[in-house]
Amino acid sequence: MAVSEQPTRQTWQDLLYEKLFHNYIWQSIFRSGYPNTPRNQMLVVATNVFLHLHPTRIHRTHVKITHTYCLGGLTFFMFLGLTVTGAMLMFYYVPSVNRAYTDIQTLQTSVQFGQLMRNMHRWMAHAMVLLVFMHMMRVFYTGAYKPPREFNWVVGVVLLVLTLLLSFTGYLLPWDQLAYWAITVGTNMVGSAPIFGPKVRFMLIGGFSVDQAGLIRFYTLHVIGLPLLAAVFMAVHFWRIRRDGGLARPL
Amino acid sequence: MATAVQAARPAGAAARPRREREEEVLVWPDLLFPEFIAAVVFTMTFLVLSTAANAPLLEMANSNLTPNPSKAPWYFLNLQELLLHMNPALAGVIVPTVAILLLMAVPYFDGDHEGQGVWFGTPNAVKIMAFSAIYSTVATVALILYDSLKFDQVWQMITGHHMPAWAQGLAGIQHGIQWPSWSLNIPYLPFNLHLMDSDFRTLDFPYFLSQILIPIGTMAILPLVLIWICRRWDPTRRGAMVAFFTGFMASWVVLTVIGTAFRGEGLQLLPVWDVWNIMA
Ligand code: HEM
Repeated sequence: MAVSEQPTRQTWQDLLYEKLFHNYIWQSIFRSGYPNTPRNQMLVVATNVFLHLHPTRIHRTHVKITHTYCLGGLTFFMFLGLTVTGAMLMFYYVPSVNRAYTDIQTLQTSVQFGQLMRNMHRWMAHAMVLLVFMHMMRVFYTGAYKPPREFNWVVGVVLLVLTLLLSFTGYLLPWDQLAYWAITVGTNMVGSAPIFGPKVRFMLIGGFSVDQAGLIRFYTLHVIGLPLLAAVFMAVHFWRIRRDGGLARPL
Repeated sequence: MATAVQAARPAGAAARPRREREEEVLVWPDLLFPEFIAAVVFTMTFLVLSTAANAPLLEMANSNLTPNPSKAPWYFLNLQELLLHMNPALAGVIVPTVAILLLMAVPYFDGDHEGQGVWFGTPNAVKIMAFSAIYSTVATVALILYDSLKFDQVWQMITGHHMPAWAQGLAGIQHGIQWPSWSLNIPYLPFNLHLMDSDFRTLDFPYFLSQILIPIGTMAILPLVLIWICRRWDPTRRGAMVAFFTGFMASWVVLTVIGTAFRGEGLQLLPVWDVWNIMA
């Protein structure tokens, strides 16, 4: 065992540490002491549900910032930020063609930090689209899709599509001219497909033009359907990284 | 900060070869600390950005008032740009679907371990990337200029004449040439196949040629030529993939930028000086 865990002489700092981190309540929550020894550092990563996505050790080339530029992690961080700010927007927004637009106006003018939350949600959404493309490029140019990671690349492409769809469905919700016509143009593109196009478009917007039926569909997809799907695929994505032996390395 | 892991490992419990272990660092603090910093920096950045710039909110939606131009969200403007140059089903659905499927197939084409886990790990990867990016940017821009009659305009300024119709753009091929009338209506199915909302019976050949065949041919041949050129620098599949992926990303970016910034009223192509005026 590490020598540092057996102090030779008790100082008052040691005593404080003992009292703070080796008491019954702390250990009922965290199982390990404060992560100041290699053993506790590994225990805290392995036993904490939020940290255990990580391995306890990692190859030193992978912690170099220039290897990943943290891009996948930042994409995930955008997803988390969007979930938090999005939940706050949901408190004030009703997906009805009569209310949606004025709800957003009210949010911006009369809700404390409402405008800030909407701005954060908007800019993080744009950033997530950019980041996911940059992450894909980093994975490609480091040759990290090669066996055994083929399938995780496929999962990644699904995540890319889901990210675009999440952003697209959210675009309609403010129900302003920008939103309305962007979705009209976008769904018309789908409608132009042969054979199934018009039917798919009809299903997507619940009618022949974008209206209440379309708004409620986009809303439901945006706040629950697509985020759930994305979360499931992210879980698979992260799980696979671990199962495939961590990040790719030269053989 | 790199803490040696050895201290924590009970003697004799070497599960993997010792040399590999020595290359490893502890996730707490060496990974979690940078992750935490990145999260803080991004939170601060978005807080500052969001106090500085407001998300847009225009007038309330009005189905009777079509704005000019009407545009999709920026990440779909690449497709909207394609839509101006070919059959809508091809541009809006088939090309993106094929692109996604090809992207998914990348690891199954290129399955050896060459260049794995390091940036540009194969011979000449940077050179191939640079060449492919330039090639695809030039080709995409040129194709868009061609199909927006820009070459014809320049030609007219210099010579005082129009170019022949077929050289003016895809619309020139479709409408500028004296097609025999039977070619506008070629029956290819002996019965009327009516599938959901689509008809399959007769073929408008000039339309088929200019809006489907030539675009598909262009999108197939240009990447193949690119890969063929790049063979001299790296004949392996990874070399081909670097050329192909870079070319795809570069054209995608060019289409997005042109669709976003260079398309004004009526989706007309704006000259560069107008783009600066709009943004200023
Ligand atoms: C919502 C979208 C996504 C999230 C949240 C995400 C997250 C992550 C994270 C956190 C990592 C760890 C390493 C890193 O940060 O680079 C990673 C690795 C990886 N990602 Fe993603 N990713 C996403 C989309 C994609 C896409 C679009 C692709 C490819 C088309 C992809 C393919 C991969 C692969 C193959 C790895 C393993 C890389 C290696 O072994 O070095 N991911 N992803």
